[in-house]
Amino acid sequence: MTAWPLIVGLAAVAFFTRALFILPGSRLKLSPVVERLLRFAPAAALVAIIVPDLFRVDGQVALTLWNPRLAAGIVAFAVAAWRRDILLTIVVGMVTLAAAGWIMR
Amino acid sequence: MLSWPRRHPDEYAAFRDGLLSAVPITIGLVPWGVVTGVAMVSAGLSTFEAAAMSVLVFAGSAQLAVLPLFVARAPLWVMLATGLLVNVRYFIYSAVLAPHFARLSRGWRLLLSYITVDGVFAMFAGRYRPGDGVAAKHWFYLGGSAFVWVVWQLASLAGIFGGALVPRDWSLDFAATLALIALLMPLLFDRAVVAGAVAAGVVSLAGAQLPLNLGVLLAVVAGVGVGMAAASLDGRTRRDA
Repeated sequence: MTAWPLIVGLAAVAFFTRALFILPGSRLKLSPVVERLLRFAPAAALVAIIVPDLFRVDGQVALTLWNPRLAAGIVAFAVAAWRRDILLTIVVGMVTLAAAGWIMR
Repeated sequence: MLSWPRRHPDEYAAFRDGLLSAVPITIGLVPWGVVTGVAMVSAGLSTFEAAAMSVLVFAGSAQLAVLPLFVARAPLWVMLATGLLVNVRYFIYSAVLAPHFARLSRGWRLLLSYITVDGVFAMFAGRYRPGDGVAAKHWFYLGGSAFVWVVWQLASLAGIFGGALVPRDWSLDFAATLALIALLMPLLFDRAVVAGAVAAGVVSLAGAQLPLNLGVLLAVVAGVGVGMAAASLDGRTRRDA
């Protein structure tokens, strides 16, 4: 599958979000209601990506707790909460994934 | 248009000041950039596509967020909508920055839009006020942003070429999800946001079988709704107490 539509489209989206108010100068303003709504979107979007991915078995979402990715995700969450260190989170998560994959096979 | 500020010591000093101030925040970006590079090639992008994405998009969390969807063959519009939602914070940055940069040329505003990142925005917003009359402040912003840009691209390239060497069965694409978990933490700043995030997680699972990966977008709608409700409930109980 070619990635170019995604690359170009995401480039446009990323530029749009940054330029929306800067580019027109000071003619546009963000309304307080919209600002309040926007507070909740980023965390919700990230969780909505992360959670199904932790339950993904062979490309399909399966609601099973006996699952190496879920185990790795929970451990990674704990590490991230403890130390907000991206690299440490990834290393511990990948090691857990390998170990849990070996135990749960 | 842009001209190198040789003849303007204020501008040169501001550029240098911005660049040096950005050094500490940039250190933390290196592993994140490397992981984004690895994640792009692990998701099936060629090294050239990944490098192009890194330069054109220049938004790590949005790139990381769309990759699991790309692997799951989600439709383009769902991936773009997701990227938009993850990048929604930039609307706020853009709105805050606009009055600072309103008097600059269009070329400048294009450049500063493209190059905006979280860390430099936070630094800049803490340092300058709109209408403070500091004429060279955009050079400070450019100095910091340019430094972040260069370091990010190098880290991303390291990941792209390093990641291409890693065997496919190591499931390194999972590193993108783990990176998102780390990026999620600082976003969970109050109880209402956490309530919204939990709702989004539940709905994303319940909606996982929906066609076109629509569950993701439905989950965000639920998350924002529950977050708003929780915030107004929280406000009410605090007023009662």
